[in-house]
Amino acid sequence: MKNMIRFEHVTKSYPGDFVALQDVDFTIEKGEFVSLVGQSGAGKSTLLKLIYAEEQPTEGRVYFNGRPLDEIKKKHLPFFRRNIGTVFQDFKLLPQKTVFENVAYVLEVYGNTTEEINDQVPKILEIVGLEAQMEKYPKQLSGGEQQRVSLARALIHRPKVIIADEPTGNLDPISTWDIVQLLLKINDFGTPIILATHNKGIVDKISRRVIVLDRGRIVRDHKKGKYAL
Amino acid sequence: MKWLKLTRTFKEGWHNFRRNGWLTFATVTVIVVSLYILSMTAIIGVASYAALTNVQSRVNISMYFNPEVSQQDIFTIKSDLEKYQEVKSIRYVSRDDALKEFLETEGDDPAITQALTEIGENPLLASLVIQAQKPEQYDTIDRALAQASFRDKISRINYGKNKEIIDRLQGVLRMMRAVGLALGLVFTFIAILITFNTIRISMYAHRQEFEVMRLVGASNMYVRMPSVFEGVFYGFFAALVTMIFLGVSAYAVNAFTRGVLQQSSLSFYGHYFFFIFIGVIVIGVTLGVVSSFIAIRRYLERN
Repeated sequence: MKNMIRFEHVTKSYPGDFVALQDVDFTIEKGEFVSLVGQSGAGKSTLLKLIYAEEQPTEGRVYFNGRPLDEIKKKHLPFFRRNIGTVFQDFKLLPQKTVFENVAYVLEVYGNTTEEINDQVPKILEIVGLEAQMEKYPKQLSGGEQQRVSLARALIHRPKVIIADEPTGNLDPISTWDIVQLLLKINDFGTPIILATHNKGIVDKISRRVIVLDRGRIVRDHKKGKYAL
Repeated sequence: MKWLKLTRTFKEGWHNFRRNGWLTFATVTVIVVSLYILSMTAIIGVASYAALTNVQSRVNISMYFNPEVSQQDIFTIKSDLEKYQEVKSIRYVSRDDALKEFLETEGDDPAITQALTEIGENPLLASLVIQAQKPEQYDTIDRALAQASFRDKISRINYGKNKEIIDRLQGVLRMMRAVGLALGLVFTFIAILITFNTIRISMYAHRQEFEVMRLVGASNMYVRMPSVFEGVFYGFFAALVTMIFLGVSAYAVNAFTRGVLQQSSLSFYGHYFFFIFIGVIVIGVTLGVVSSFIAIRRYLERN
């Protein structure tokens, strides 16, 4: 069973006849790096939300590790989400916590001991190159550094997949490339990555699988794709 | 594990409480206002009830006997009257007792003491002071005494004289209680509404945290607990501040209440301090916790 994520003829529509996704059908294997491209409103974010079960499909089914997501009870959803690490354009860091505390927070929520937290958090911050900034607050960091904190937070619990929704949208070109390099490095260790992006440059440069969405439909799905709409 | 999460969410709640500065100040202030209004309403209610029972206990029928009636006769009448179930107690006041009581209350006035020495003998009459079980029974007792076989021995009965003023006082106090209860209910409702809204605003300030919590897979309980603890802190500190304000208020009206009520406001506050304190804390914490609990629902996993 290599299927990590499977979308089976998924349609998502919202009240008022707005169709965000239409008959979307694809599979992501373990270890893959998939770029999801498309214009604003093409349905990228909706697709990602269906994966971490923030939304439920109107038709069709989404499977995670062979398990249909609609069968997960609402109260078990938090536990399901622990399989997934998420990174967003706006970082979603807690401004009143330090870099260390922001990352440690995940483990606190999961009930890890303080020793485990003090052991693991510096290690992950070292991977993203922020070991020297642990005691700083998010607003003291650059955008690229903040996104690396957010990436460390997404990684700390060793998720089965990383979902990145426009992670470089707010970053300058150098920071953008830093983040992409990090994502590739994480992928090299075997964690599948789904990257939704507008950035033609990085999609072309990394030369991995590209799924192109247009008005809710998959219009192209190439193994070693380029950015094209 | 449970304990670990409990202490963590407790700390988280405490940090939220401390880090929010103005919002915490505003929330605590609103709860203080609510608690103050609530406890003042309750205390005024209790005090007016106490005043009412006090007035009722002072109501009595005094029956004065002609000077020639012997003490023996009066005691016979007393034991006859004590057989009636409407009668709660009868106190015998001899002529000497009456004089002593009179001098105790009026003895400071030189004109009165002078008048008494000029008369040369005790001008006061012996009396029986009758207390009824219930205030509405005085009328019955009064009528029965007016027709009693020993009525020719009675000089006068002073129930009729006080009756009107007592009735009026009772009416006023009953009205005060009704108005107090109605106002108390209205204020309680307003207090709950304001507290709830304020806490909703402070929860809104945390919405980003709730979002992050959901994303990293925090269970509903883990998302909820810090806010519930935060509610506990709001309520607890608001209760402390309210106690100070109540103390200051009691001090401010102390001179006024002394004499009017059986207990001055400060001694009332001191006497019931722990009772009031516990009550205010329980209400404050309940307000905070219930409001947090409800306000946070919209940020949790929707079912």
